[in-house]
Amino acid sequence: MTGLLTRASPQTLRLLALGLALLATVLFFATQIEGYLSPRMFTRISTSAAVVLPIAVGQAIVIMTRNIDLSAGSVMGVTAYMTGQLLGAMPELHPILAVLFCMALGAGFGALNGIIIAFGRVPSIIVTLGTLALYRSFLVEWSDAKTITTASLPQWLVDLPSANAFSVGGLDVRVTVLIALAACLVSGLALTFLRPARRFYAVGSNPDAAVMAGINARRVVLTAFIISGAFAGLSGFLFLAKFGNITVVAGLGFELKAIAAVVVGGVSIMGGSGSMIGVLMGALLVDTIDNSLTRWAVISEFWRDALLGGLIMAAVTLDTLASRQLTRLRKGSSQ
Amino acid sequence: MTQPVLELQGLSKSFAATQALKDMSLTILPGEVHAIVGENGAGKSTLIKIMTGVYQPDSGTIRVDGQPVTLRSTESAQLAGIAAIYQEPMVFPDLNVAENIFISNRAKGRIMRWSEIYREADALIAPLGVKLDVRRAAAGLTLAEQQTVEIARALSLKVKVLIMDEPTASLSAHEVARLLDIARALKAQGVAVIYISHRLDEIFRIADRVTVIRDGQHISTKPIVEVSEDGLVKDMVGRALESFAVKTAANPHGETLLSVHDLGCEGVFRGITFDLAKGEVLCLAGLVGARRTDVALSLFGIAPATEGTITLAGAQVRITTPQQAMDLGIAYVSEDRRKLGLAMPMSIFANISLASLGKLLKPFGLIDRKAEAAMAETYRKRLAIRSPDTSVEVGKLSGGNQQKVMLAKWLETKPRVLIFDEPTRGIDVGAKAEVHAIIRQLASEGVAILVISSDLPEVLALADRVLVMREGRQAGILPIEEATQERVIAMAAGQATAERPAA
Repeated sequence: MTGLLTRASPQTLRLLALGLALLATVLFFATQIEGYLSPRMFTRISTSAAVVLPIAVGQAIVIMTRNIDLSAGSVMGVTAYMTGQLLGAMPELHPILAVLFCMALGAGFGALNGIIIAFGRVPSIIVTLGTLALYRSFLVEWSDAKTITTASLPQWLVDLPSANAFSVGGLDVRVTVLIALAACLVSGLALTFLRPARRFYAVGSNPDAAVMAGINARRVVLTAFIISGAFAGLSGFLFLAKFGNITVVAGLGFELKAIAAVVVGGVSIMGGSGSMIGVLMGALLVDTIDNSLTRWAVISEFWRDALLGGLIMAAVTLDTLASRQLTRLRKGSSQ
Repeated sequence: MTQPVLELQGLSKSFAATQALKDMSLTILPGEVHAIVGENGAGKSTLIKIMTGVYQPDSGTIRVDGQPVTLRSTESAQLAGIAAIYQEPMVFPDLNVAENIFISNRAKGRIMRWSEIYREADALIAPLGVKLDVRRAAAGLTLAEQQTVEIARALSLKVKVLIMDEPTASLSAHEVARLLDIARALKAQGVAVIYISHRLDEIFRIADRVTVIRDGQHISTKPIVEVSEDGLVKDMVGRALESFAVKTAANPHGETLLSVHDLGCEGVFRGITFDLAKGEVLCLAGLVGARRTDVALSLFGIAPATEGTITLAGAQVRITTPQQAMDLGIAYVSEDRRKLGLAMPMSIFANISLASLGKLLKPFGLIDRKAEAAMAETYRKRLAIRSPDTSVEVGKLSGGNQQKVMLAKWLETKPRVLIFDEPTRGIDVGAKAEVHAIIRQLASEGVAILVISSDLPEVLALADRVLVMREGRQAGILPIEEATQERVIAMAAGQATAERPAA
């Protein structure tokens, strides 16, 4: 066991632990909820996680650069609403263009965050706390408290959430799930194999060294926020597709869900490390718990948020303790 | 004549009130090791930052291979072929060694071909004589290993000029030898190495030419064979010694106030023994890293000693917190004004009263503002702090005046023992003389004074006795009559100087 602990990379161990936690969660709820291990539950959890996944991917990239994007949930709400409005006015708009509109709109909001943070040198937590409220108020003002309803949306969008991409062993994989997975996969590949994307890690790992090494750290941070905005936009689109009815509270609290998924997924809040597989597993774990709790009679629905908060704390605490212990183990074994 | 690879012409740079560089010119030839020496605050780091594009000069031109260039950022400096490695290496702990090397290498294209990167990283690291797994994360590498990574990074960029800024400050003798070998190898490849170090013996081992800078100005550039260590030291500290305060005959050796016997702190320093009399100035001299500040910190209770005894006015004391030290009448004027000494955004008077607020209390624990202002005003006049009144923000004062404010703060605690750590670092010559005069004045009033200084003329001008430290040990105590720059340097550098082949 010690051999495994010292040989495998911390990142691998983290994923392993996460996998075990996910398995344990599923098994636990299987004993508690009748008919839990069913294709229906799989569809429920996977489509719900699909909405969170893109926004979590964007958040992870921002966190890697030692920043945070608290406004992502508001961006998601605004893009969901405005895209719904656009499709209501132009129902014949090509679906691809609708997705692109969503992401571009989100990228615009992200760019505003990024410009203030990177060039105004204001801490990201302050800027995005401000825009969290500003973007939401903008939505309230813009929507005039009107709701987007399924009735105003084109048929393809209404059909999208129940559209099946393929089935494996009785489990249906929805198109929306595939879109989210694609976003995660593309980001993961880019972060591993694209040199410019590696700079997200570099800037978060040691910002001073990044500047000394000739990296334009400000541009890197700006890019991270633009990406975060774009992915929040994509989440907004999936949200619109899934629910059809969009009010001014759309996406409320999603930034916290995303941060939870990212942190539970092993992305260091201090920046510099993390993987997209981790984010995927984090999002799955968070959503599995979230969806299962609503079905679990023992616990009141109001405890869901508390559990989410506890999960974030537990993940970070465990991670800190474990990596400290691991460092000690390694030192011991190398001597 | 060979085309210089880098030419600096008439560079000037100032920050607010201080002129860091004045009309600096420098010519670097390909394939030479060019040493730059100067005292602390001579402008070396500003010069490096201009050459690497961190700072932009106020005036002057930079030419690379004869072409004028503007180094807008570290990125553009790298493109021009200039890179630097620092005393504190700049690596990315979360990235692996290979990626650390190639992270800013634009020539490598946009796609990371990991196997190729590992192979090339191995190829770059191997000739540097260090065994390093290029796939491991950089976290946990030793300083020497991190430096190797940085050198490999610079090599991968095909630099023409590599600046090494105090690269050996934290290295062991073996690691130093290896670094110097690397520098020689670079030179053989035609890379110009700019080598900045306080350690003269290294400079004589490695450099082809040496430039002395002082007070932001170019003093001399000579082939190494034409200079002697004494000549270099003279050029470095060269400012006429008469600008220092003339030593007043201090109360020569009154009663012993502070007696330190075999003081040590595990793993940091040990075997420090000295007596300090009222009215005496004892200077701690030594190279950077000789652990002089740690001795001061143990006397002030910040990093308490783990062995040995401290006797103050006849009674043995244990000092484990700064509060205890202050209660015993020990004050410490720290080297780093910004971090440890002053609250920069606060006014002069608030800073002066900070350590003695207890004396200024009115009923209900309110601060007597009038008394506070009067106290500050007294010090403003007595120490000649240059500002219209005492409500000015300390951060807006010059370094010398900040030093005086800090001194005022401690004087108000009426110390019996006053410890100065680098009291004149980074302040100009005029203010320096004033600070020296104040220190001698305090001594003549009977305060026992301990001064840590890396500035030898300062040591010789201030001290009654000089305690020389080397690598955490006491190398000896010299009475001022026997202390010369040469003797102090020889004791401080110890073996290193003796081993140096005659230049």
